[in-house]
Amino acid sequence: MNLFTIPLKNMRRKPTKTGLLLLVFSVGVMSVVALYQVSLVVGLSLEQKLTAFGANIVVKPSTEKLSVSYGGFHMGDMLLDAKDLQEAETTAAIRSIALSDRISIVAPKLVTMVKTNEAAVALVGVRWEEELALKSYWAAADGTFPQRSGEILLGSLAARKLGIAAGDTLDLFAREYKVSGTLLETGSDDDSVILMGLGELQEMLGQPGAISFVEVAALCAGCPIEDIVAQVRNNLPKTSVIALQNVVNQRMSSIRFVQKLAVMISLVIMVTASAMVGLSMLSSVNERTKDIGILRSLGYGKSRVFMIFCLEAAFIGSLAGGIGYLAGYGASLKTLDLLTMTDGVVPIFSIVHLAICAAVFPLITILSTLYPAWRGASVEPSRALVSL
Amino acid sequence: MLVAHNIKKTFSSDNKDIPVLNGISLNLKDGDFTSIVGRSGSGKTTLLNVLSTLVRPDRGELTYHGRNLTTAPESQLDQLRRSDFAVIFQFHHLLPYLTVLENTLLPFMSNLKPVGRKMEKKALECLDRVGIADKARRLPGNLSGGEQQRVAIARALVKSAKILFADEPTGSLDKATGETIMELLVGLNGEGLSIIMVTHETEYAALAGRTIEIEDGSLVQ
Repeated sequence: MNLFTIPLKNMRRKPTKTGLLLLVFSVGVMSVVALYQVSLVVGLSLEQKLTAFGANIVVKPSTEKLSVSYGGFHMGDMLLDAKDLQEAETTAAIRSIALSDRISIVAPKLVTMVKTNEAAVALVGVRWEEELALKSYWAAADGTFPQRSGEILLGSLAARKLGIAAGDTLDLFAREYKVSGTLLETGSDDDSVILMGLGELQEMLGQPGAISFVEVAALCAGCPIEDIVAQVRNNLPKTSVIALQNVVNQRMSSIRFVQKLAVMISLVIMVTASAMVGLSMLSSVNERTKDIGILRSLGYGKSRVFMIFCLEAAFIGSLAGGIGYLAGYGASLKTLDLLTMTDGVVPIFSIVHLAICAAVFPLITILSTLYPAWRGASVEPSRALVSL
Repeated sequence: MLVAHNIKKTFSSDNKDIPVLNGISLNLKDGDFTSIVGRSGSGKTTLLNVLSTLVRPDRGELTYHGRNLTTAPESQLDQLRRSDFAVIFQFHHLLPYLTVLENTLLPFMSNLKPVGRKMEKKALECLDRVGIADKARRLPGNLSGGEQQRVAIARALVKSAKILFADEPTGSLDKATGETIMELLVGLNGEGLSIIMVTHETEYAALAGRTIEIEDGSLVQ
């Protein structure tokens, strides 16, 4: 028997009222937890989907660019100390950063120039699996993507420039290649190039393992792109690692929108649930003026009366926090199941989160009870005694 | 010793000031049994509430063993009501959701520290003293009016109160139960407990060693 006994026994006295209050707040907590879990999973899932729309980090050799002029003639930009990267070493270094779980796709490329059919065109060697995962927006205008060695893919402008189409052949470095397909116009550099297997190009150029640059698709939710870039730089000190901020920001804005929406809805739910708790406590104060009178006549100070109401709110908040978390976790599983958009990402059940809910939500209920509790504590014994 | 000097109290109703106590002075010695009588609305209950520190007077001075209670901070008055003063009312003396034992121990439950076994034992002894120890685990709703009043008296005993302020303690009881309660109060007074009782019933007022009559907020005798 202590001060806790009074609010606990009062709650037991009115099981329906206490139950309803608990239900309202638990539903509030459940909604917040479910929204948080769903937004987290949807955010990650969305990011994984957005990753299919290109890279957000580029790793290239560290070079110095000079703009050369001599005798009044501008001789263009010259790259100093330009050396190709080594594919195995570079991709392994990228994949081994501390935040490696955030690295989704690593797509190495070797770029060279070639003259064929009386036209100069850029020839890009790619790893088809990575490239197609990175650029899922690619679509073949005609033909198919290369399936085997000896096949190439043409960008739409390159095909026009060379005057060839799917099924034709093209001579490259004295070897005949079959055009398996041409790309639908993408509006990017891909429209102007010839694409072929990276291994074949390395072999053809006599540069085994050489690559010009690497495009990386990183998942940025939960950690800033700067951290990933810094870790890649640390593993590849002699390279230039650039974050394509506009791409990152565009992706993150979509994810942040989902998360902000969840936060806003959660806030509305919590304010509503807190208002319900506050109103219920206010009516409880009015109902219990007699009790307050008895307590005050027994020497319970204002602070004790205040504490009794706050403790009652804290019990509700703590119970609702625990129940709401468990229910919210279950609801998020069910919701994501219905949405069928998890892409293998599942909500995380955490005892720490459960404990945080059971600790934080009492604070919210106490906050919403501050005014009613203050009203209760301010009741003058003489006023309370009128009802005795 | 509780001394009231020139106590005045006015209440406001519909923007009108209604004087309830008009300069009451009285001297209550330790161990006295004083009854306050008067017609309804004469100010008896207000005087009892002022004396028990539940209501602050507008003017005048109230001292308890030399301590000025009129100017004392609220925390000191709370402390006094927890220790020396006990108040019992005509109705609703008990919290309905606490057992008889818990209601008896209510003055000691204002802290987070649990009430000790020793205090529980003392509370049971006090309940035994007023004849309801066998109902210690019951809720007040299962008790008669007289039994509820006994619990309130036991609550005063368990904290070893020095003064018991009783506002119409027999007002809601039948004659037989009322007489039992009065016998109990007289017995406790005989053991040294000071009692200040507001009552309508002259028969019970006569049991007190001293009777004060109030009319329109002033002492008649």
